[in-house]
Amino acid sequence: MEEPILKVENLEVGVKKDTGFMNIVNNISFFLKKGETLGIVGESGCGKSMTSLSIMDLTPASVSLKSGKILLKDKDLTAMRKNERRKVRGKEIAMIFQEPMTSLNPVYTIGYQIVEMIRNHQNMTKKQAYQHALNMLQLVGIPRADEILHEYPHQLSGGMRQRVMIAMVLSCSPEILIADEPTTALDVTIQAQILELMKSLQEEMNMSIILITHDLGVVAEMCDRVVVMYAGEIVEESEVHELFENPKHPYTKGLLESLPDVDEDREYLSSIKGTVPSPSEMPEGCRFAPRCAFASEKCQEDPPVFRVNQKSSCKCWLFEDSTAE
Amino acid sequence: MIQYIIRRLIHTVFVVLAISLIVFFSIRLTGDPVAIMFQAGEPTKEAIEEVRENLGLNEPLIVQYGIFMKQLITFDLGESFRSGLPVSTMIAERMGPTVLLALGGILVAILIAFPVGILSAVKRGTAVDFFGRIFSLLGISFPNFWLGIMLIIVFAVQLQWFPASGYDGWKSLVLPSIALGMILSGILARLVRSSMLEILNQQYISTAKSKGIKDWVVIIRHAFRNALIPTTTFLGIQFGSLLGGTVIIEQVFSWPGVGRMIIDAINQRDYPVIQGGVIVLAMLMILVNLIVDLSYSFLDPRIKVGGSDK
Ligand SMILES: Nc1ncnc2c1ncn2[C@@H]1O[C@H](COP(=O)(O)OP(=O)(O)OP(=O)(O)O)[C@@H](O)[C@H]1O
Ligand SMILES: [Mg+2]
Repeated sequence: MEEPILKVENLEVGVKKDTGFMNIVNNISFFLKKGETLGIVGESGCGKSMTSLSIMDLTPASVSLKSGKILLKDKDLTAMRKNERRKVRGKEIAMIFQEPMTSLNPVYTIGYQIVEMIRNHQNMTKKQAYQHALNMLQLVGIPRADEILHEYPHQLSGGMRQRVMIAMVLSCSPEILIADEPTTALDVTIQAQILELMKSLQEEMNMSIILITHDLGVVAEMCDRVVVMYAGEIVEESEVHELFENPKHPYTKGLLESLPDVDEDREYLSSIKGTVPSPSEMPEGCRFAPRCAFASEKCQEDPPVFRVNQKSSCKCWLFEDSTAE
Repeated sequence: MIQYIIRRLIHTVFVVLAISLIVFFSIRLTGDPVAIMFQAGEPTKEAIEEVRENLGLNEPLIVQYGIFMKQLITFDLGESFRSGLPVSTMIAERMGPTVLLALGGILVAILIAFPVGILSAVKRGTAVDFFGRIFSLLGISFPNFWLGIMLIIVFAVQLQWFPASGYDGWKSLVLPSIALGMILSGILARLVRSSMLEILNQQYISTAKSKGIKDWVVIIRHAFRNALIPTTTFLGIQFGSLLGGTVIIEQVFSWPGVGRMIIDAINQRDYPVIQGGVIVLAMLMILVNLIVDLSYSFLDPRIKVGGSDK
């Protein structure tokens, strides 16, 4: 098998408190292959954004990396000096955010902001950079791109701004794009267009994508593989078809059941009872046990990750018969 | 744009009218100028009467105001009771030093407050922030005349680095500018800090960082550039109290400006000089605010001053 382009190993991220270190992301490991789209799903607050921000080294000041490795090909990002790490951002790993309305600086023109990105990583004259920016805007399907170049963010709609963001972050041809809920703030038709755009650019540029989302519909549409997070841990990792056809972890099952089903005409959506525990009051053992219908004595103890089959692994005692990883 | 400026000018006329009314009548409550002129000797009743007649003080108040307004419309501010010089000439001579002092004060405030405010925000919760905030507090707490006197004692009398008073070259501008700008720098540093803290949490700052540009470029080019918008508004509003400050500082440093001229004129009940001085300062204030408002469309592309016409 081809070596993964990005490997996250035993990552622990959290907040330093007087009482000790409070984990937000607890010992997670996953990988990303060249050209694939990896989905990260999970309820609000489970640590999806913190995971991606840790990869970018953009966590809020209070949040820090406790241990773990982030391997980009064979370079360990966590071992890099700040300045080297900075040069990875935008050049090799780029990121777009959930809020296109506020993602661009209001006082600079679109062209200025894209050119700033280009000239930061590439040796180009201003003129060449503006030409490249124009090409990028046309590539992401922005009409009257030559005029938009000289306009300010407030003159554009949310969908247009997200296109501009995509044009900007892809202007240095990064190998990895992290998209943290890139379409959540947009209305449905625009959502579909943006996702379509990301997919076609991915093929064109042979880029890997980490797509963070709440929306399992988006996962089915976009992803090759999926990582399911619960309370700062990865509870299941699976190929996308396997996930929908044969979910393993009770939490994943719950997530899938809470999808509205078009065939059956159900009155209400079944959902998982209870809420995600906060990082300060994590249950002992399996973190999902208090909400789990299949919980037993055994769940007092923290389950390891079991490889269930070639396509999926799962962090649950129900799969004890499989080999532990 | 032109329309907007015209509207502002009309607005200005009304403000000046109101100020002229207030100044004209309030100074006439403070005592008789002629009595003060003759403080030294024992003048005859006739002599007093003659002076009153010459200065036009025997007319009814309303008539006096009418004459004053008639002159004002032709930009004639009258003549000093004391020296007989045209008030406009006196102001023209003193305007330069006052504007220079005000600019010096603002420059000092900016040179101190911008770095202190930015560092406090970026290093939030650290020792740097702590000292920055202490500094702001100190800046605000010391009255400027006291600071002026302290500066004179230390840097003029003891160390003899700068002159203690007068208006002679850039060296003489240093101490009065610091005395004037200190309070403003304290308030300004707080404002810069809080604006920066708010802006550093904005999504576009994360975007800027995610582009891999240097930290200080993110802080200055992306965050501070946005903090300039509230900061400029604030400086425009504060310009009034800064001008008020020049009146005191000019006194402390014997600075030959409009403020000191007004104080002297008040002591002598020199009505035309007081009126002229106050009105000119008010107009300066209005002019500065107009410039600040116009500068918004450069600072913030979301704002178009005076609607869409360019
Ligand atoms: N600045 C911070 N300091 C301390 N804890 C934080 C901070 N920001 C977030 N957290 C905590 O980190 C945890 C994970 O947050 P994160 O934003 O990664 O969740 P998420 O999975 O992205 O959720 P969402 O779907 O709502 O975006 C949350 O429990 C949150 O309380
Ligand atoms: Mg999030």
